Amino acid sequence: MLEVEGLSAGYLGDDVVHDISFRVADSAAVTIIGSNGAGKTTLFRAMCGLLPKSAGRVTLDGEDISDLRAHSIARAGLAYVPSGRHLFPQMTVVENLSLGGFPGRPDPKTMAVVLDLFPRLGERKNQQAGTMSGGEQQMLAVGRALISEPKLLVLDEPTTGLAPKLAADAYAALTVLQSQGLTLLVAEQQVPLALSLADYGYVLENGRVQLDGTADDLERDPEVRRAYLGVS
Amino acid sequence: MTAVILDGIVLGLQFGLLGVGMTLVYGLGGVLNLAHGSMAVVGAIVVANAMAAGAPVLVAVGAGLLAVGALGLVLDSTLMRAVYRLHGESRVLLSLLLTLGVAFIIDGLLVWRYPIGSLGIHISGDPIEILGVRMRIGSLVASAISVVTGAALVAFFRLTTAGRAVRSVIQDEVGARLCGINPAAVRSLIFGLSGMLAALVAITKSMTAPITTTAGIDFTILALIVTVVGGLGSVAGAFLAGILLGIVNTVSSFYIGTYITSIMLLAAAALTILLRPSGLLGRRA
Repeated sequence: MLEVEGLSAGYLGDDVVHDISFRVADSAAVTIIGSNGAGKTTLFRAMCGLLPKSAGRVTLDGEDISDLRAHSIARAGLAYVPSGRHLFPQMTVVENLSLGGFPGRPDPKTMAVVLDLFPRLGERKNQQAGTMSGGEQQMLAVGRALISEPKLLVLDEPTTGLAPKLAADAYAALTVLQSQGLTLLVAEQQVPLALSLADYGYVLENGRVQLDGTADDLERDPEVRRAYLGVS
Repeated sequence: MTAVILDGIVLGLQFGLLGVGMTLVYGLGGVLNLAHGSMAVVGAIVVANAMAAGAPVLVAVGAGLLAVGALGLVLDSTLMRAVYRLHGESRVLLSLLLTLGVAFIIDGLLVWRYPIGSLGIHISGDPIEILGVRMRIGSLVASAISVVTGAALVAFFRLTTAGRAVRSVIQDEVGARLCGINPAAVRSLIFGLSGMLAALVAITKSMTAPITTTAGIDFTILALIVTVVGGLGSVAGAFLAGILLGIVNTVSSFYIGTYITSIMLLAAAALTILLRPSGLLGRRA
């Protein structure tokens, strides 16, 4: 579904991520794990066209999207939910969701599926997004991304600012989506959660891929256990 | 008194239409367009010329609006490109300088080509009484156009996908891009629309009283005041501010004198900045 080859990017001419390559198979769930500042967000921003790439190629479902701008990449089927969510604070839940289907009007069936996955959004249809709690905003951000019926859903730390219970709920929702065949790519610091969802993972450190493997391999890896799972 | 207030509301709707374009262009791209009023006058001139050449009113008005819309699109895709490449303060500053230059060029050309030009669109008919107030047909048509356009704008921004897309870019540009919305296209569209709305105000004004080729700067200043009082980037704010300022305008010119109205309007703007720095409905402090 997604193939990233030799991607480098950064700010003001200084690369933050270097020569990153990874792939996400159709209907797979892949995680990128790493600590704060490892370069996860920079990698995603470059991939989604929000940040210029200094090198590398990105292919989505066979289509080269390396040189497309952010809005074209979104229309090509890559839906990105940034950790800052970037909702429209003075619009209602329904207005936010409906823009997810831009330029068309959202498909009522897809809308029903999203409201079924997140009943809270249905209860708060006419509430302004900016007045909702962090957990509800996260649901809305994921919901808005789903309305476009993306080929690939990319999430940057979906649990940011959420209490442990809500973080677990968020991952439960992602698991449901994956079981329905959606392809997922998730960056996460909360490694146990990420590995519970993903089939495959890449470990990012100082802007480079240090390690990759199946979720089971990573869970057993002594380095990963020490650095990310708090096991000595 | 009713007549004065009613007059004020009608004038206020025109102020709102004048300000809404400026406030949207600012909200979308951080650009203050000081050529706003001059573009409006260009529209009125095109209408006057078309009518002098024998075109029916509606055709002439259509031509005037299209001409200004096209002028807006051309400006946005040429000069403004350089502005959008900058960020923060330097963007605002360059936009002020460039659009001021455009205003000088347009005003200069107009004064050169139409030196005596005072433009009026005459609509004949006897005055009609509304709420006990006698109103001329010209004012009625002008008011009706303002009310209908204002309502259409509100419906556009609330109910249509395109209108929501415009608001989304103002509220969170990154979020809009991630939804597949191209902010550059939205900015071009609104730059053109903003010019057309300003031109519509100049045209409707010329139905009640002739306007001169040098009226551009007055329109621009009015639009700036409406934008500041209403809150930068707020459509509803522009209309609310427009109506309040329209009433201030007519009441003060009726009871004190015309010479004092611009001072009163500027005082209202200054007061708003002191009490509510982000404007009546602005969200940024």
